[in-house]
Amino acid sequence: MLTHTDLPRSQWLRLWTALPADRVRTAADELSKRYVVEDIELPQSGLGLLPLNDGALGEAYYLGEIPLARAHVRIADGAGKAVEGGAIIMDDRARLARSLAILDGVLAAGLPGFETARTLLNEGAEKIREITVDRQKLMAATRVDFSLLGTTDEEDDDA
Amino acid sequence: MGYVAIKGGGRAIRGAEAALEALRTAEGDTGTPLSLSTIENQLRLLTSRIVSEGGLYHPRLAALAVKQMQGDTLEAAFALRAYRSTKPRLLEAPIQDSGKMRLIRRISSAFKDIPGGQMLGPTNDYALRLMRLDLANESPESFRDVARHFMANTPETDLPDCFPKVVDALRAEGLLPALNGPAGTPFDITRDPLVFPVARSAALATMARAETGSLLAIAYSNMRGYGDVHPTIAELRVGYLPIMLPHPVTGEPIEAGEVLMTECEVVAMYEGTDTDGPPVFTLGYGACFGHNEVKAIAMAILDRALQKGMRDGPRNPSEDPEFVLLHVDGVDSMGFASHYKMPHYVTFQSDMDRLRTTQAKAAQCAQESQPRRQGENA
Repeated sequence: MLTHTDLPRSQWLRLWTALPADRVRTAADELSKRYVVEDIELPQSGLGLLPLNDGALGEAYYLGEIPLARAHVRIADGAGKAVEGGAIIMDDRARLARSLAILDGVLAAGLPGFETARTLLNEGAEKIREITVDRQKLMAATRVDFSLLGTTDEEDDDA
Repeated sequence: MGYVAIKGGGRAIRGAEAALEALRTAEGDTGTPLSLSTIENQLRLLTSRIVSEGGLYHPRLAALAVKQMQGDTLEAAFALRAYRSTKPRLLEAPIQDSGKMRLIRRISSAFKDIPGGQMLGPTNDYALRLMRLDLANESPESFRDVARHFMANTPETDLPDCFPKVVDALRAEGLLPALNGPAGTPFDITRDPLVFPVARSAALATMARAETGSLLAIAYSNMRGYGDVHPTIAELRVGYLPIMLPHPVTGEPIEAGEVLMTECEVVAMYEGTDTDGPPVFTLGYGACFGHNEVKAIAMAILDRALQKGMRDGPRNPSEDPEFVLLHVDGVDSMGFASHYKMPHYVTFQSDMDRLRTTQAKAAQCAQESQPRRQGENA
């Protein structure tokens, strides 16, 4: 789903949470001053059970549990317009989830002030890009092409 | 065996806690408290053990548990489990696809060439086990330079995040059994006790949070000869699994975070019957939170051994689900061993009373039989 950013909503939380939490909170607090924010569901933190399909036979099993925090808010302006925002993240901080839900709702609906959320999103995207590049380097630097003894020169590839 | 309540000792117990803390901080003026970030990053394989054995992917709390328990992995996993027991369960996630893992390492011992290529990633596999004495006096500056230097000197690449699985290629060739698919609701070991026989999902979940050494010991018994799995590692992967959960508003899947995990599929000897179609390789599967390759491999071997034991009946301890699954949990086994340290004064007093009575009876019997023997001899 594309909205007021080219980045898909399915990735927004990942990108925002790549930034320091206080930046997200500050932005959400600023937006909260412009709108009336009500909790549709009280922000909560707890656990989620994590099922996977096993790679051998494809049967589902539980790998373990993950921490979760989630929030679901209604954001209303003075003119009677109201939108909903939500967040669910692997984190203990319910208040952070609520801040993210505010950013989510504002950006999805393009409410005035959404530029702040979008700016953070782009910064988060850059941070994630850096992490991705670093991980790819771990792979690229260790790519291996073993050869059988006697089938090639006996020199190592980096000798 | 009976238990008795005791009282008293409150001051000593408080003193013991303080004494433990005193040892933790015994470096005194020259000491620096370990930061959680330091533990999480520099002792990342230790943190990995705790998240997997604690059954909760929370690296920061795992680092805290390591710090609090002064490096005792069993106690740290216990603390993490105790923490999780205080938290409400908000949801059960949809079934995640480990094929979406963002890999940092993938190897195969079955094939030299695998689709996408092999990447050794961060590993000690080919390292000499020589002590690096330079680390003993590592300066903060040289420490900080290492990662910076590695990243700066490794060119950017366009490698993908995800790679096809080796077993998928083997399966496409008809060399592996067909996928069974999710068979009903998986067994939740955190809510239900193991009552045998158990579903394979219960075995996988139990082993996923098992204590690494326990799992390895039983798998090793199979490798050495008390079993016949003879595994080949089709693929061993380490990477970050994106966790997709429904958005609270739209219900669409969104990425809520990612989990570092290790996954391994082993191919074992082929089997087949006249009725089940052509023979195919058998498979074993292992996975756990964090980066813990020995655990994933041991689990995969035991999964294969248990499948065999569940089908044909166990011939070795490693094929016996009850033996394996009831003895690999670190918190359970540590708890049982540790409970012997608790006061058993009354039960032991009873043991002593019984022994004394038995000794007295034995002495009396001996005394009574002595004149008889003397009479017989006369």
